[in-house]
Amino acid sequence: MSIANKLQTLPKTAIYGILILCTSLPLFFQIPLPNNPDQASKDFFREMMTLDASKPVLLSSDWTNSTRGESKGQMKSVLRMFMRRGQKFVLYSTADPQAPQVALDVIAEVNRERIKKNQEPYKRFEDYVVLGFFPNAEAAINGLANDFKATVKGRKDFPVGKEATDVFQSPVLKDVDSIKDFQMVVVVTASKTSNFTVERVYGKTKLAFAVTGVMGPETKVYYQSKQLVGFVNGLKGAFDIEQLMEKGLNVDSSASFRDDTHPAPVEGFKGDDNVGQGTRYFPTLHFAMALMIIMVILGNVGMVLAKKDSSKKELGGR
Amino acid sequence: MFNLLPIAFWSDPAGSSALTGKIVFGLLLGVGLLFALTKVPTQMRRSIVFGGTFLSGLFYVLFYLWPQPITRGPNDVPRDAVEGVAFWLKDSFSVVVNFTQIISGFMLGLGVYSLLRIHLTRIAKGHKDAFFSFVLLGSMVAMAFFAYGDYILRLDPVKAQELENPDKWGPLTRGRDLLFDGLLQQMDAAMFSIIAFFILSAAYRAFRVRSVEATILLATALLVILSLMGLVADRVDGFFGGLVANDPNDFFENFKLTTLRNFIGDNLQTPSINGITLGTGIGALAMGLRIWLGLEKGSGN
Amino acid sequence: MSYPFIKALVGVLATVGLYSVLYKENKFYRFFEHVFLGLATGWTIFVLWAEVLKPSWYEKMMGTPSVNGGPATDGQWAYILLLPLGLMAYFVFSKKHNWMSRIPIGIILGLWSGQQVQVWFNTYGPQIKGAMKPILPSAFSSFTVPANASAVDVYPSQALSNLLYIVTLLSVLSYFLFSFEVKNKAIIKFNMLGRYLLMIGFGAIFGSTVMTRFTLLIDRMYFIWIEFFQQQVLGRG
Repeated sequence: MSIANKLQTLPKTAIYGILILCTSLPLFFQIPLPNNPDQASKDFFREMMTLDASKPVLLSSDWTNSTRGESKGQMKSVLRMFMRRGQKFVLYSTADPQAPQVALDVIAEVNRERIKKNQEPYKRFEDYVVLGFFPNAEAAINGLANDFKATVKGRKDFPVGKEATDVFQSPVLKDVDSIKDFQMVVVVTASKTSNFTVERVYGKTKLAFAVTGVMGPETKVYYQSKQLVGFVNGLKGAFDIEQLMEKGLNVDSSASFRDDTHPAPVEGFKGDDNVGQGTRYFPTLHFAMALMIIMVILGNVGMVLAKKDSSKKELGGR
Repeated sequence: MFNLLPIAFWSDPAGSSALTGKIVFGLLLGVGLLFALTKVPTQMRRSIVFGGTFLSGLFYVLFYLWPQPITRGPNDVPRDAVEGVAFWLKDSFSVVVNFTQIISGFMLGLGVYSLLRIHLTRIAKGHKDAFFSFVLLGSMVAMAFFAYGDYILRLDPVKAQELENPDKWGPLTRGRDLLFDGLLQQMDAAMFSIIAFFILSAAYRAFRVRSVEATILLATALLVILSLMGLVADRVDGFFGGLVANDPNDFFENFKLTTLRNFIGDNLQTPSINGITLGTGIGALAMGLRIWLGLEKGSGN
Repeated sequence: MSYPFIKALVGVLATVGLYSVLYKENKFYRFFEHVFLGLATGWTIFVLWAEVLKPSWYEKMMGTPSVNGGPATDGQWAYILLLPLGLMAYFVFSKKHNWMSRIPIGIILGLWSGQQVQVWFNTYGPQIKGAMKPILPSAFSSFTVPANASAVDVYPSQALSNLLYIVTLLSVLSYFLFSFEVKNKAIIKFNMLGRYLLMIGFGAIFGSTVMTRFTLLIDRMYFIWIEFFQQQVLGRG
């Protein structure tokens, strides 16, 4: 077998094995990496950190563990920012019946972090309200956008130590009549609910998204047309936000953490527990991406060599 | 639709015999309607389906297009027919949204029913895969049982507070946690991560520079991948940044990976994806109108 | 063996079981595949009742007593009529009456289609507005945008970028809209340009998709090696 053929016919098991090695070994090492956060991530961070803590935010959690690698890191950062700033929020899901429970698990995880640091845990019903799952995402978001109160009417949540109670009894929803009473809708999603939200909610209040990498290019269209105030894209976005939480924006002299379009400094949470999936997985992603580039190059070099071989043979045949 | 008759006709106190009687009456009425529909002649069927589709679509068309009063107090009454319709549309909106949720809920159950039908038939017929069907149904029943059992437990506020501490979990909560967090969520993540192997293998075998289109696609993909690698982007940017002493107007500034990536992202990638979404949006709009007006092929037949 | 260890162990077994399909289809994989489907369906049944039908349908129909000072609600019997309407969808399995399943589907589709006009303008209106960029420069003091530029001035480099944006958008759109046979040579060339530029969009989507897919795999490896092996088996961290 010629080199050209060998290069093009590596066995499947060998490729899979190398991929497993590339995505496993770097996880055992802590590799600090430089980063230049995207403008969209900077905007997302600034908007989240300058919210008025006295007004609630509507948080849509539309992901399950199928995209845990990206979405959980994003969700955890969003929750850390909310909880550290005392931001009240209302949680709902429309994409998947598993989504509300997955979100509650992350809230519990962030609460455990707070308890460890002797901070008050975020209380369900007092600090945040869970509206639960709504099937038919388009109809549900349409309802929330056009008549929030009537769409949510009858939903109950569980105050700590009390029976299931109507959600409008919660202090979080006390001044809420319509979606306009939320200062922002934040959507952490791995599905089309981001599109449904733009379609129905845009123009009523501010929108900010945390999406998976697959959805990033499409979401950028909404961001560029100013339908979104900011968004975080996949693992890179999760890493950006974690770094911004640590370093702040326009705070130190690093050019990467400056935003000349909005020069006001935005402090992060320096020295606090800001590490999450983004920081843990980003170095490993480099190895996997490098493998992808190498494999594509190998295949193409093999093809070029094979073409040369066949043209040589043709010439020799003549 | 509820203001066609006095409110008292439509609602009764919880647990009252009047409410129970009306629910039984409603159920009989519904069953009667179902029976009547089974007797509908073939030529009327399309009209019935089209009628349902058109009227439900008409609601939202009117909801968005009908003039609405700028303000409305809780005791306001409509001044004329136009305002009467506006009030009716606004008041009915929540009912329609709720109906949509409920019907969608019933229809989600259709998938469960279909799965049950297939696997129960397999078990009954002693199919060679009957064991796997048994496993599927067993997992389904176990998950529904533990999840609902845990839910019922948590309805008691004292118990719910106790369950915040994992050391106090009983078999129901532990079973729910093991099945949902321990198994379902891990398998969900595993299922979706398998694609990484296929994408690498496929890119190696098929991602070849054979045409102009493939070359452009490959070059853009490589640029995006490189720019997502923070270390590479930092080194390349650092190199060109050193050449131009970070003057934003210097020619070499354009060769920074981040600058190049942002330029392509803002001026080529975004409009090209916008073109795709605009195209599909026009398609969805056209299809929406065709469905609403009953022009879609096969609607109601 | 502690409960967290058992929980992590079953997760690892299930992950390895599903990954075994990479070698070839086998019974171990099929077992976990069916467990996965069964658990997902079981959870859907639970959520469907507890979070959807119970609060939105059953409790509205039956009414609820006052809880924690909240209002008691009367039951609205007419909600029972939704049961036969929902059940019509199940006639899809009937050979004789399957047309009835189209009634609830038609209603849902009708409700969807009625929203489309408003949805279209809300989604694409701002995008079309955003795409109307100035392509003629208004300031010539510098080719590129200087640091202290006024927001209203359009510099030549900006104008060129805007032109590129508009040409890309229009050519891709033209490629989409004129997908039938076109004889005009200018449109054919313009469509060809759109086809090439479309590849830039697809290339970006591919690059981002690779990031997502690899991240999901990294997450699984993290679960197996760090959360299970290092933390549970070796007891570190």
